[in-house]
Amino acid sequence: MTVTHPVGAEEVVLGGGRSPAPPDRPPATGTAARLTRPLPALLLVGLLAAGWQLMAHTSDSALIPGLGDIARNLADITTSGALGENVRVTLTRVTLGFAAAFVVSVAAGIAMGRSEWLRRFLEPAVLIGLATPGLVKALLCVIWFGVSLVNPVLTVALAAAPALTINIAQGVRAVDPALGEMAHVYRLDALTRLRYLWLPAIVPDLFTGARLGIAMAWKVIVLVEIFGLADGVGYQLNLEFSQHNVAGVLAWTVAFALVMAAIEYGLLQTLERRAVRWRRVALR
Amino acid sequence: MSTRISLDGVDKTFTNRRTGERQQIFRDFSLTLAPDELVAVVGGSGTGKTTLMHLIAGLERPDRGTVSTGGTRPRLGMVFQQPRLLDWTSVETNVRLAATAAGIDTTEVAPILDAVGLTEYARSYPSVLSGGQRQRVAVARAFVVRPEVLLLDEPFSALDELTARRLRLLLQQLWLRTPRTGLLVTHNALEAAFLADRVVVLGGRPAEVVGEYRIDRPRPRSPEDPELFDVHRRIVAALT
Repeated sequence: MTVTHPVGAEEVVLGGGRSPAPPDRPPATGTAARLTRPLPALLLVGLLAAGWQLMAHTSDSALIPGLGDIARNLADITTSGALGENVRVTLTRVTLGFAAAFVVSVAAGIAMGRSEWLRRFLEPAVLIGLATPGLVKALLCVIWFGVSLVNPVLTVALAAAPALTINIAQGVRAVDPALGEMAHVYRLDALTRLRYLWLPAIVPDLFTGARLGIAMAWKVIVLVEIFGLADGVGYQLNLEFSQHNVAGVLAWTVAFALVMAAIEYGLLQTLERRAVRWRRVALR
Repeated sequence: MSTRISLDGVDKTFTNRRTGERQQIFRDFSLTLAPDELVAVVGGSGTGKTTLMHLIAGLERPDRGTVSTGGTRPRLGMVFQQPRLLDWTSVETNVRLAATAAGIDTTEVAPILDAVGLTEYARSYPSVLSGGQRQRVAVARAFVVRPEVLLLDEPFSALDELTARRLRLLLQQLWLRTPRTGLLVTHNALEAAFLADRVVVLGGRPAEVVGEYRIDRPRPRSPEDPELFDVHRRIVAALT
């Protein structure tokens, strides 16, 4: 055992011997950097559009409309208000369904992550949910619930919940058990543990699950709206399809893709950056 | 409130899940901590020091025997070997959450952060702090709850010696403000002699008390006190 020579008691006074002041925070990322960040993605979109236009021009077929036709259809549905109204309806359904999936998945995922017995108990349901095609979920919900709001909300929830649950469970299993012991010793209540321990600790898995869940949600909501509802983006897609208006189908598809991109880049990535801000601070 | 802690006839065995091998850590083990007494437990690796602490903290249950903490579960303050902070929230929040859970007014958070010299870092993430600063947060969290029982599980073993010495002195001063029943588990015999009222040396397996030393030196103690070095030598002799 090493015998060392401790410092004198006079060297430490309560409140004295302060740590040096924290360093100034580095300047925020520059505006130029923020503006140039989306350039690669925009370049890809530009190349795809150019390729499409070339294909439309050379094929000269009504099945492959040019960008001008698609843009005109997009302008029509925008100015008529149809786009805004139907996107709002679809987004409401997706939001409600995803919110329901989120609540259930957080509870089930944390339970599965913390209890081996519950993991074994719930895992088959999650795996069946993952393996069942979205089409089947959509059809069954249309049959069971018809045109009521329950139909799209439940379909979206059933589609989003399995991926979300399994990712949350994996995240919880990876949380340092030492933090759980700390929470036990200090008697942190369940809500505090959820807000300050479990959710922040599983943020990366949560966002991975959310992305997969939302991707599944977009797919099934369109199916449900095609099969069993009288409004929403899926219904409008089906309407344009029945009128053999390919440019209309593509206009709704482009609009839908733009909404999904706005949610990914504008909402999910912003939330994720805020949630993991502490990691970036630590790396500076 | 002063709390007496007693372990009476405790048995504790761990079973390796993969190999099925059983290791009995304690057999009919007894130890009493008097109210407001700070007891240090030293011993080699695997002598059950941390298990002893976990039994008192309620993180483990004895297979047989009793762990008594005066009838009700006392309010615990615990400093772990690693600080165990919530890295995604601020230093102030880490301390405040423990205070709130213990029913302590959150206005007491700022003074305790001041006492450990971290006022300037109150709104910083723990991840930007040094190891010593992070452990200061853990000390602040342990003391802000006004613990009836303070548990120190090798609290400074992961720190460099200079930082560890400063934190020992800080801990002594915080202890002097409000003494409470405490258990310090450490590998460092000099640390045990400096901080504790009594040093218990554990050895063997199942663990048993192989030495016990009362440190009758007044506080605040000087780490240069030759009497402490004398106790240190006797503890080391018992360990070896």
